[in-house]
Amino acid sequence: MKINDIEARMHSKFPESPLNRDDTGGTGVQWSIAVPISGIRDAATEFDAAGFFLESITALDFEDTFELVYHFNCYEPGSRASVRMLCGHDEVPPSICDIFRGAVWLEREVHDFFGIKFSGNADMRPLLLPEDADYHPLRKTFGKVGAYHKREVIYG
Amino acid sequence: MDELEKIEGNERVYSLNLGPQHPSTHGVLRILLDLDGEYIVKADPVIGYGHRGHEKMGENRQYKQFLPNTSRMDYLSGMLYNHGFVLAVEKLAGIKVPERAKYIRVIASELNRISSHLLWFGTYLLDLGGITPFLYAFDDREQILDILDAISGSRLTYSYCRFGGVSRDVDMKFIEMTRAFLKRMEARWVDYEDLVTKNVIFIHRTRDVGVISLELARQYGVTGPNLRACGVAFDVRRSEPYEVYDRFDFEIPTGSKGDALDRYVVRFREMQQSCRIIDQALEHLPEGEIMTPKVPQKLSPPKGEVYTAFESARGLTAYYLVSDGSPGPYRCHIRVPSFGNLNVLNDVLPGTLVADAIAILGSVDLVIPEIDR
Repeated sequence: MKINDIEARMHSKFPESPLNRDDTGGTGVQWSIAVPISGIRDAATEFDAAGFFLESITALDFEDTFELVYHFNCYEPGSRASVRMLCGHDEVPPSICDIFRGAVWLEREVHDFFGIKFSGNADMRPLLLPEDADYHPLRKTFGKVGAYHKREVIYG
Repeated sequence: MDELEKIEGNERVYSLNLGPQHPSTHGVLRILLDLDGEYIVKADPVIGYGHRGHEKMGENRQYKQFLPNTSRMDYLSGMLYNHGFVLAVEKLAGIKVPERAKYIRVIASELNRISSHLLWFGTYLLDLGGITPFLYAFDDREQILDILDAISGSRLTYSYCRFGGVSRDVDMKFIEMTRAFLKRMEARWVDYEDLVTKNVIFIHRTRDVGVISLELARQYGVTGPNLRACGVAFDVRRSEPYEVYDRFDFEIPTGSKGDALDRYVVRFREMQQSCRIIDQALEHLPEGEIMTPKVPQKLSPPKGEVYTAFESARGLTAYYLVSDGSPGPYRCHIRVPSFGNLNVLNDVLPGTLVADAIAILGSVDLVIPEIDR
């Protein structure tokens, strides 16, 4: 199983990072790993080499930070894993669009919705928003919002 | 005209807008094409015309209030999207679903899958210049719409599933109508096979056109029939079985080359497999409740997150919900399959003829409002 191989490699690559396994299958991923902002390219390269595809990139907006969530999957049963990284509101994470070509659009979408710029992605034009859009609608500071929490409120 | 032409060395590159209103784009999609004669040099899809902010709407509503939105993202497989959303929320809130409701959901979802594929079948052939199959396919699709109308009350934007079950029970009339439909289709598949699949003109328009290699599909996250046409039997119904899909005997059709013809064949055979699933589900449909009693009106799932994938008509779709313990999600993200399926065209279209671009666009079965969300 590729998912076990990649888990071992993530362990050796990021010995410091906590790897949360989900044995109940409740969250839909086998495990998730929190990597530092500088580690996402290494992680993506590993997933690419192991034959995974990038399912989605999205962000969570918290009062104290953004959190970027990357979901990877491969063509084997139950093989989804997620890579998460904290990214401050002013930080610029590195792009992985040269590793996964589909990431160009996924990163453009995240930029649309959250205003996170990715360094190395040359095409940061709005994708889903109008070309002159200067707002980021999924920020919790935009429009009608239920709540704006610190990250620890949800993830403890 | 001058602005549209660029002269680079000996080459004259002409820019052409395909869309946003073009009959073959099936939605508001614009593709900026750079042409060298009849050949495409560069393709840049421009999307977002149908962006309604479904994710934002999800975040400032209660779970229950978002239910009607789900079938409006991909309006051709509304039942599947609706089904997927209740799956995600049930997982998040730990709600059990009665057996009968699971079977009914599967039957309704598979009917919807066939209706979505039939619409694609008809309109794709219409794009390629064949009007007759379109009329046949819509006639068949109408039967499904009548069946789903009978149980859900709507023809397109079904909001049939509820957290913990389905809104209405099925009756004998529904079962008879569905059985009659399955019987009718048995003869229709033969007709379609003779009329379309073996049609020489059709084969010449689609064979070796718009080849998506497996590596390209992986790079762009292509899923669904478009991926299976490359030869990978990857289907969420098999890889992460939800509801009762693991109890049915069905095949996952695959292609080999990943060209437009393979994509057609995969979808065509998928409709037949869906009929098999429906047949088995009707056979084993258990008696009992259709709703779990005592599902609270105001759901407040515990803190945490869930990522629930399901197979819509176009591929792997997923709801990513983060709960902060309140009656609405803190984050509601939807992974849509057409996103990757359109994105890959950035690499597939260059080098092909404009006439083939229409054949390729149709063959990947895009629903633009699903991408725009």
